[in-house]
Amino acid sequence: MALTTSTPRPPVLRRRKRPDAPGELSKKVWATAVMWLLVVVYGFPVLWFLLSSFKPAGELFSYPLTFLPEQPTIKGFTEAWTRFDVARYFLNTLVVALSATALTIVASAACGYALAKYRSWWLKAFTLCILATTMLPGEVLLSPLFLVVRDLGLYNSLSAVVVPAVITATGTFMFRQFFLTVPDDLLEAARIDGSGELSTFLRIMLPLSRPIMLTLAIFSFQWRWNDYIWPLVVLNDPNKFTLQIGVATIVGAENVNWSVLLGASVLSMIPLVAIYLLFQKYVMNADINAGLKD
Amino acid sequence: MVDSIHPPAEAPGIDVRRGPEPVRPRQRGWRPRRRNRYVGAPLVLISINLLLFVTFFVWPAITGLVYSFTSYTGVGTAPYVGLDNYQRLLQDESFYAALIRTLIFTAGAVPLTVLLSLGTAVLLVTPYTKGKSLARVIFFLPWLISPIIAGVIWRWMFGENFGLVNYLIISLGGKEVPWQSDANLSLFVVIIAAAWGGTAFNMLLFVAALKNVPTAYYEAASLDGAGSWDKFRNITLPAIAPTTFIVVLLSILHSMKEYALIQAVNAGGPGTANNLLVQYIYTKGFERAQIGYASAASFVLMLILMVVAVVQLGMNRRKES
Amino acid sequence: MNISITAGRGLRRWRWLSLGVAMTVALTACGTESGSGGGSGAKKITFWLSTSAQLQGYNELAKEFEAKEGVKVEIVNVPYDGYQDKLRQSAQANSLPDVASVPQLDPIWINQLQDLSATANNDTNKIRKDLVTEQDGKVLAIPSDLTAAGLFINKSLFDKAKVSYPTDPAKAWTWDEFLAAATKVRTATGAKYDLVYDNSPARIRAFIYTHGGKGFQLGPDGKYAAPDAATVQALNDFKALNDDKVMPKSVWTSGADPNALFKSGQVVAYYSGVWQVADFAESITNFEWASAPTPAQPVHATDINLGGKVIAFNNGDAAAPAKKWVDFIFQRDNYTKLAAANGYLPVESGLTVTYPFKKQAALDAFALYTKEIELADPISSSGQAAQTTLILDGKAIQKDPTKDEMAKFINGEQDVQKTVDNIVNGLNEQLN
Repeated sequence: MALTTSTPRPPVLRRRKRPDAPGELSKKVWATAVMWLLVVVYGFPVLWFLLSSFKPAGELFSYPLTFLPEQPTIKGFTEAWTRFDVARYFLNTLVVALSATALTIVASAACGYALAKYRSWWLKAFTLCILATTMLPGEVLLSPLFLVVRDLGLYNSLSAVVVPAVITATGTFMFRQFFLTVPDDLLEAARIDGSGELSTFLRIMLPLSRPIMLTLAIFSFQWRWNDYIWPLVVLNDPNKFTLQIGVATIVGAENVNWSVLLGASVLSMIPLVAIYLLFQKYVMNADINAGLKD
Repeated sequence: MVDSIHPPAEAPGIDVRRGPEPVRPRQRGWRPRRRNRYVGAPLVLISINLLLFVTFFVWPAITGLVYSFTSYTGVGTAPYVGLDNYQRLLQDESFYAALIRTLIFTAGAVPLTVLLSLGTAVLLVTPYTKGKSLARVIFFLPWLISPIIAGVIWRWMFGENFGLVNYLIISLGGKEVPWQSDANLSLFVVIIAAAWGGTAFNMLLFVAALKNVPTAYYEAASLDGAGSWDKFRNITLPAIAPTTFIVVLLSILHSMKEYALIQAVNAGGPGTANNLLVQYIYTKGFERAQIGYASAASFVLMLILMVVAVVQLGMNRRKES
Repeated sequence: MNISITAGRGLRRWRWLSLGVAMTVALTACGTESGSGGGSGAKKITFWLSTSAQLQGYNELAKEFEAKEGVKVEIVNVPYDGYQDKLRQSAQANSLPDVASVPQLDPIWINQLQDLSATANNDTNKIRKDLVTEQDGKVLAIPSDLTAAGLFINKSLFDKAKVSYPTDPAKAWTWDEFLAAATKVRTATGAKYDLVYDNSPARIRAFIYTHGGKGFQLGPDGKYAAPDAATVQALNDFKALNDDKVMPKSVWTSGADPNALFKSGQVVAYYSGVWQVADFAESITNFEWASAPTPAQPVHATDINLGGKVIAFNNGDAAAPAKKWVDFIFQRDNYTKLAAANGYLPVESGLTVTYPFKKQAALDAFALYTKEIELADPISSSGQAAQTTLILDGKAIQKDPTKDEMAKFINGEQDVQKTVDNIVNGLNEQLN
């Protein structure tokens, strides 16, 4: 049975656009203009935030409003850096984020695939169950969940932060929706070839979903990186604290030290941007169609 | 294959949309039966999530559900009060006010977010734009900014006392706009802030989906002389429909539970005019140690969200078949 | 295309996932070697507190304590947001700290506290007896410091408008005088508002007390009673100030940050409290500020609160060093150093603290607050006293509804009577 579902494409056309076609240039101008307009709209608040992190505290709320720092300083950053044991907290957060991300991808891919490619009433029910996990406000579950984690003996270990976070509706549905778009013929062909169900998943399906894996990796990494209240509650030993716990100490009961908070926020965003750029490059370059669907 | 009729499985071309497929009736006849043979494999595949679901959701959620039938305050015993919490909730006018405000917020934020994220995703994927590498980072950054910082940013821009927008309006000879003390304008600001902060997440979902549309379709369509808009409408949109579905569903669920952002931007104000459902649950429940009442309200919220999800899944299934 | 090619690629791609799984295994191993919280050998105790600025003093004391007693004090700064939750959950996991400075006691763990009466009743310490938490002759908590509400003014604007202001609390102005002066300053200088006022139940208490009201007090039956007429009138007056001229409405109705508004330099005065002094000393550079006496109309009052409550838990062999550490903190010399380093208003009477501020305005502010506290009507500390009473009774106010109800009142959603009723009911609801 043929795996091809589309008509053969004229191979020459793949790379070569027709740059000289009359409409092309104006399309380029328009699309670029619109994109840059959006960049300005999205970037303006971000830019203010970034520039403000270089302002001394006295300038942050002064009026008339200023955009550029008049006396730029990196005091916010250096103070943020020396407030708590940044290196240790950073490492803890990294361990949590990496392991949770790896596990989330495995669990979500497997589950999403099952929900997309097999049919039975209990799978349909489980689809709803997965969605249900997003439907309760966190606070309802906080206390009961804590008791569960304590009874399982996970209290005060980083795995207490990781394990409950592995199941995510977003991740599972990302894979479910992706595998819906993968032609069933592929699965059937593998079955005819005598491939077992699980090995079909591991060998054929999983590699196809690389863009989804990478996208979910970006998400999961950000979620765990910015987790706050749950790590605070389940981690007792300050040597296991995560980054956001340290950042949160900047926000006091009555006072917020804005310049330090801005500095700390900018610093804690850097690894996320790095991960994003790294992974997103692969998503963008994923030329998965080329290999598979023809 | 009711669940998985998708463009990639169809022949490419602009005018082949959901045309009648002669094979369909036969497929309907045998596929489901065949699929039912597989029980072990899917069970293994969902096992991790199943185990986690039971341990870290069902177990604590049942505790929460039990609380909702008591007047538990977080300390000491939890006296059983039957359906009292639920009755009080359904008789509370401010609950309905919060529900309506939540629906308005969702109706504003979701379409805006979805449109913007699809738009930015297309612009990042299309070969027509220049300077993508910077744009990609700029669109992404707002998603990383924590609600407390987002609150400062948006109050700095839309603060009615010393905000940037009012500053510009006054400089241009206009009159101060009550961005914070007018309920609707205040909600408008939160909707903008939510769309700004939520775009990146959905954008990345769309980017992954757009990269997954076989380029061959576009090329074939180009040969047929199809314009960009035709290609977008007839190839792209159907091809990314499963992603659009999940983006819309997750955005709705998320918007209906919005809390941190609105708290940071205007604290649900002015007054309680923009208290959304989760704010209601916090102020009437947890913050007053009414754990029982808060749990009851949370389960009502869950029920509402469940109805939304079931309806959407149902509609999607009908559309797909 | 054939399947085997895909499979080969697939296996290669698979590898980085297995790396992740290996990481996780390592992580789990990491988790199991966790040391136990405090007690072991009691050569080390843990001390939790929550502060955005005041760690320095404790760090220094801890060093001296270790040198003297051979017990290391591990200081953990827990974020304010979630501190209460964390203590509760820690109690359920048997991992409470040995000593802590907490914003509020909690019925969940109050029975695990040690008696600190030896320290509290030590006459050389001169700790103010009215501020310690005492039950059945046992002292459960000693406040680390006092806080008081108070007024700040934009001195530059006052000087520019050539309007004078009192500096001695004994000659405080009335609210009417103050507001008249502020309006004069605002109109003369083109500033935008007379006043911003912290959106907080504690600060509105001070407004009520200074207007002669008693505010929301516990009745003899242990429930909150309907307030007196002066209180209701004061709330009405307060609403009237939120007219977007005297005060911007956005602070009390939609969560605008009064601290930021005052720092803009466009607001004549700010009613907040002593904790702002250190912040202002550092982060106000574009104008001069000063602390001014709280207006009295006619009552001299503020809201006196406790910065933190120092408690010691009964954790096995860490219990004794824990008590020693608390005693060490409150020994007069040590406490003097602590108060200076942390910028504390002292709980020990007759203490002369030399605060290390470079800015004269900050030093003056502390001197003024000290005088104000001496002069303040006893009702000023009734808010925190009521909290203590309730806690000892096994009850707690988690959330004072005043803020939300006043927001509705000022926003025109309800009248004053409804507001007062809702506050009383909202408080009593939590006492069941």
